[in-house]
Amino acid sequence: MSGVLVTGATTPLGCRLVQALLQNPELGTVLAVGAETEPPASLDSRSPRLVYERVDLTRPREIHQLLFGPAKKLCLTHLIHTALHRSATDAGPRVHALNVESTRALLDAAERHPSLRHFVFRSHGDVYRIDPRHAVLLDEQDPLDLSAQAPQRVRDRVEADVSVCTRMGLSALSITVLRCSEILAPEMGSQLYDYLASRVCLRPLGFDPMLNLLSLEDAVRALVLALKVEADGIFNVPGADTLPLRKAIALAGRTGLALPGPLLAPLYAVRASALGMEFRYDMNHRRFHFSAILDGRRAREILKYVPEHRLDWLAQPSSKRTCSTADWSLPPRA
Amino acid sequence: MKALLVHVLQLTGGMQPIPFADRGHGYDMFGFDPRVLAIAARLGSLLYERYFRVRSSGIEHVPRRGAAILAANHGGTLPLDAALIVLDVLRRTDPPRAARPIGDVFIPLLPWVGALFTRIGMVGGARNNFRHLLENGELPLVFPEGVPGIRKGFRRRYRLEAWRVGHVELAIRHRAPIVPAAVIGAEEAWPMIARIDAFHWFGAPYLPIPLSPLPLPVRCHIHYGEPIALHEQFAPSDADDPEALSAGAERVKDAVAALIEQGRRERRGLFR
Repeated sequence: MSGVLVTGATTPLGCRLVQALLQNPELGTVLAVGAETEPPASLDSRSPRLVYERVDLTRPREIHQLLFGPAKKLCLTHLIHTALHRSATDAGPRVHALNVESTRALLDAAERHPSLRHFVFRSHGDVYRIDPRHAVLLDEQDPLDLSAQAPQRVRDRVEADVSVCTRMGLSALSITVLRCSEILAPEMGSQLYDYLASRVCLRPLGFDPMLNLLSLEDAVRALVLALKVEADGIFNVPGADTLPLRKAIALAGRTGLALPGPLLAPLYAVRASALGMEFRYDMNHRRFHFSAILDGRRAREILKYVPEHRLDWLAQPSSKRTCSTADWSLPPRA
Repeated sequence: MKALLVHVLQLTGGMQPIPFADRGHGYDMFGFDPRVLAIAARLGSLLYERYFRVRSSGIEHVPRRGAAILAANHGGTLPLDAALIVLDVLRRTDPPRAARPIGDVFIPLLPWVGALFTRIGMVGGARNNFRHLLENGELPLVFPEGVPGIRKGFRRRYRLEAWRVGHVELAIRHRAPIVPAAVIGAEEAWPMIARIDAFHWFGAPYLPIPLSPLPLPVRCHIHYGEPIALHEQFAPSDADDPEALSAGAERVKDAVAALIEQGRRERRGLFR
């Protein structure tokens, strides 16, 4: 294994991933790519093996320059694409450009790249359609959420995922797609994290679905294993925490209040407009009613990935923008 | 409230722990909580012992560990048969074994009911769910007649409807024996006299109109037959062969029909 390009390197996941890659002595240069001018303090920028580049991934020309500039000079062989817009409230062409067009542009450029041979895309469990008529356990062949009513965030994620998957077998690259469970951590765009930021968490009356949550450590492990195994294909990456919504609310130290389902969307809409919350109930409506757990059998068999790190539900709140935080710190109360 | 909680906790006292695949927070992947099952078993013991006065035979045919499938007849207004089999297996196995009823896909849509059934071990009827149970060495309980089994009405009681083949396919693929079971009494305990087919709230297939507001205190009998080792008769590749599946399903159906016949012959009356 030689050099790796990591997009989204300034996110908590990206920071931890870069750190993990730098700790691997068999690995060459790590080209960390972020939207910020300077790398965050937590990235070990003193390491001679780390190169940081600021790139606006919404601009195809910058992507081209990145891949055929520094990535070519460094003879990188692997690309891990983790950059996605994290805010659920933003929408529009620029968000789409980051979520979808950048993925296409990266893959397209990577296919023509002289040294890149492996493309790893960090996708999301959100791409699956949650349907009580289907299994609780979602495997990689389960239907994706292609409904026109889905919010842009979900549509973008599905489109980016499908864009990468359609190149499998047609591209000279080895392509790995990791559909990760929700990472319950700050600054990861986790809807559940934002939901649990409220002192009182409203949930639908009469329902208590099972959720599966992933820790940052396990997400990093899965990405590193994908890099090592270089297996083509789609892999679900579940986390070590499988629990009902009500229990998650209790473990987060919040008060759960069950209300009739139809009331929740308007209440959360009012709450979001009044308090500026990121949580959108319409985006989570189905999973707050019906269980959906990623089946990690393929990842277990091929990548040898087994979730190991449980979330630290008792960690103290932290608002520092750093990637060296605990597994999961309590969201600040709204 | 506190007194009620203490009382409910006392209900689980003395019961052996129910082995299950804990995912770390006291629940399995599907939301099964053995504490809730233990409480339900204690609360249901009155129904089991006093009301339906259940008698069962052949429990030795239910494997004590490892994957196996229980396949039974289905009938009555509501699936009392599932509840009675779950209670019976739990009470008569050592260590107690939780049979996992495979429910119809509309059950999770029902508020409270879906959540409660999930906590006591029900699993939605989808292939992946079933597969996962077998891979974990569990004991799924299936009613291969499905909804038509309970929809058939009192006149057609104990006449088996078309027998689905999904459980046979999974039994062959996952090398699990099928234990046939027959429930006698449940089809008469709560007869359905009519149904409203146009009622589809929460995805329900129809609204049953029972003869009585509560089930009748019919004595129930549960008979388990010898395990059918279809995996010894068929190779795993036969799991894709429709003829093999039909033949396997027919064998299971015949075994259940024979147990029903024997059970009805042996019982001394509806209430005795």
